[in-house]
Amino acid sequence: MKKQMIISVMSKDRPGIIASITGAIYQLGGDVADLNQTVLCGYLTMILNASFDEEVTKEDLRAAISHVKTECTFEVSIKEIQPGEQLEAAGPPKETYILTVQGPNKAGIVHGISLFCSEHNVNIFDLATTLQDDQYTMALQLDLQKCSCEIEELQHKLDAYSTANGLTVMIQHNDIFQVTNEITLH
Amino acid sequence: MLRSDQILSTVEMIQKENLDVRTVTMGINLLDCRSGNLVDTCNNIENKIARFAGNFVAACNKMSKKYGIPVVNKRISVTPIAFVGAGFKKDDFIEIAKTLDRAATAVGVDILGGYSAQVEKGMTDTDREFIASIPEALAQTDKICASINIATTHKGINMDALAIMGHTIKELAEQTADQGGFAAAKFVVFCNQPGDNPFMAGAIHGVEEAEAVLNVGVSGPGVIARALERLIKKHPKPGSLKFDELAEEIKQTTFRVTRCGELIGRAVSKSLGIEFGVVDLSLAPTPTIGDSVGEIFKILGVDSVGAPGSTAILAMLNDAVKKGGIFASKTVGGLSGAFIPVMEDAVLAEAVGDGSLTLEKLEAMTCVCSVGLDMIAIPGSVDADTISAIIADEMALGVINSKTTAARLIPVPGKEVGDHVSFGGLFGASPIMPVNNIGKSSRFIAWGGRMPAPIHSFKN
Repeated sequence: MKKQMIISVMSKDRPGIIASITGAIYQLGGDVADLNQTVLCGYLTMILNASFDEEVTKEDLRAAISHVKTECTFEVSIKEIQPGEQLEAAGPPKETYILTVQGPNKAGIVHGISLFCSEHNVNIFDLATTLQDDQYTMALQLDLQKCSCEIEELQHKLDAYSTANGLTVMIQHNDIFQVTNEITLH
Repeated sequence: MLRSDQILSTVEMIQKENLDVRTVTMGINLLDCRSGNLVDTCNNIENKIARFAGNFVAACNKMSKKYGIPVVNKRISVTPIAFVGAGFKKDDFIEIAKTLDRAATAVGVDILGGYSAQVEKGMTDTDREFIASIPEALAQTDKICASINIATTHKGINMDALAIMGHTIKELAEQTADQGGFAAAKFVVFCNQPGDNPFMAGAIHGVEEAEAVLNVGVSGPGVIARALERLIKKHPKPGSLKFDELAEEIKQTTFRVTRCGELIGRAVSKSLGIEFGVVDLSLAPTPTIGDSVGEIFKILGVDSVGAPGSTAILAMLNDAVKKGGIFASKTVGGLSGAFIPVMEDAVLAEAVGDGSLTLEKLEAMTCVCSVGLDMIAIPGSVDADTISAIIADEMALGVINSKTTAARLIPVPGKEVGDHVSFGGLFGASPIMPVNNIGKSSRFIAWGGRMPAPIHSFKN
C-alpha cells in the first residue's frame, strides 16, 4: 500500500531546485505524480504530489530535503493524504469560466474580486495578475459548479461590480478560450 | 492554464469587436407533410415545425448565455415548398405560406426560408403554380423568404423561368409599394443554390439533407475589420506591412471566429438532439456601423468601394476567410464567402450614393465572392425584361465558374435615381442605384428555352 503526500516548497529561485527536491524524493523511493511550479519576482514556489512506501514518514521527507546542499533556504510544508481521502483529478472542472479584470492600479483589487467570488461560492483555482504602465490585469480561472446563482445573474452582478469599482470585468466560458487558442489533440 | 495574452486577445475579440454567431438555422424536411388535402397538409407542416423547433430559440438563448456570445438570428429553413406541395394550385400555396408564417411566429424564430422551387432545367405544372403564388405569398406574410434556383453548372439556365423572374420581382415590389417594394427583398434568384445555407433570403433545407439539421453562420465582418486595424496600427512605418500579411491576419481571425461558431452550434445541436450540419464561413454585414464588408475594402487600401482594386481585394478577402474557416470547422458548407448586400451594408450603400459603386462593378466583384447582386435598390421604372437580363448575366457567372450566384433586386415603386429607400432593421437602407441600358434586352429574354450547360459540366 502506497501513501501520498502533498509537498510545497518556497525558495529564492536558482537553477536546480526541482532537481534537488525531486532527487530527495527519489532517494526515498518516492514517485512524483502532479507537479506545478511558478516563479514570481525571483522567488520560486512549487507544489507536488508524490507517493511513497508505507514506512516513509513526513519527517523522513523533511530531513531528506533539509540535507540538500543549497545557499538558499527551502520553506517546506508537507501534508500526508489520509487513507480514504480522494484527490481531485488534474485538469479544469466542467463548468470552468475565465474572469478577466482590467483597470488602473489601486489597493484592494485582488481582494475585492476574490471576495466577490467567495460571496458567490465560486472557487478560484488559477489566478495570474500583471501590472504594466499602472494598468492592473487579472485573469482568473473559476469553478462555477457550486456557484450560488446562475451564470446570467452572476454576469449582471459582475457588471454592477465593475461599474461601481471603475474596472473592466468580463466572464467567459473556458471553452471559448480553448477553441480560439488551441488545436486540441485527441 | 492559457497564457494571459491569449486570454486578453480573446476578451478583446468578444468585448470590443462584437463577436457573435450571426445565425443558427434549423433545416427541417417537410416532404412527409403532404397529405390528400390542403388543410391536413397545413396542419402537418405546423405540427412538424412545432415538434422540431419548439425549444429551438430557448436552446440558442441558453447556449448564448452560457458562453457569453450572442446568437443574433434564430431561423428555420424547410424543404423547397414546390416539392412539398406537389399538385397544389396557386391559392393553395399562398395558404401554405401563411401556415409557415404562423408556425415560424409560434416557435419564435426571426425568419423562415424555403418557400422555394428548383427549376434549373424545366418547370413542372406545380412549379408554375408555385411561382405565380410568390408575390401574394410574400406580400401577405411577415417572416417568409422565397427563392428560385433557375440555373446550375450541370444543367445551364432555364430561360423560360428567367423571363418570369423579372415579372415576379416587379409584382413583389408593386404589391408592397407602400413599404418601398419590401417583398422583393425577401426573394432571391439563384444559380447553384446550396441546400445547407443558413443565410436568408436563400436558405432552404435541400432534399439531399437529413430529417433535421442545424447550420451555423459565423460572425460578421466587424471582427475582421478591427483585427486588420490593430495590425496596421502596429506597423506605422510605410512598407513594413505587406498584403500577404494582411491576408494572413484575416485567415487567423476567421479561424478563431469560426471555432466559436462551431462550438456554440454544436452545443445547441447536442442540447436539441438534432444533427449538426455545416458552418457557413460567409462574412455577412449588417447595417450597424462597424459591421461592414465595405469598410474592409477601405482598410485594405481603396478610398472608395468600387474603385479599381476592389475586385482584387474582395478576391483575397474571400479566399482568406475560406482558408481560415475550413480548418476551424469539421464541416463547412452553405455559401461560404464574403457577402456584398448593398442595402445591408452602410459603407456599400454610401458608395452607391456617391457614384463610386456601380451595378457593373458589383457584377464584376461577384465573380470572386458569394453571393451576387444582393439587396440592390433600382428605379421602379426598370422593366421586367431588363431585370431578367441582369439576372441572366449573374446566372451565367455562376454557371461558367461553377459557383453559387444570386440576384436580389428591388425595383422600388415610384422611386428613381437620387431617391433613397429604407426597410429598417437588418434589411437596411440605400440610395437608388442607376441601371444603364434599360429596355435594350427584351429580344434576348423573349427567346425562352434553355441556355445549354457549359462544356466543363460534362465530367463523366
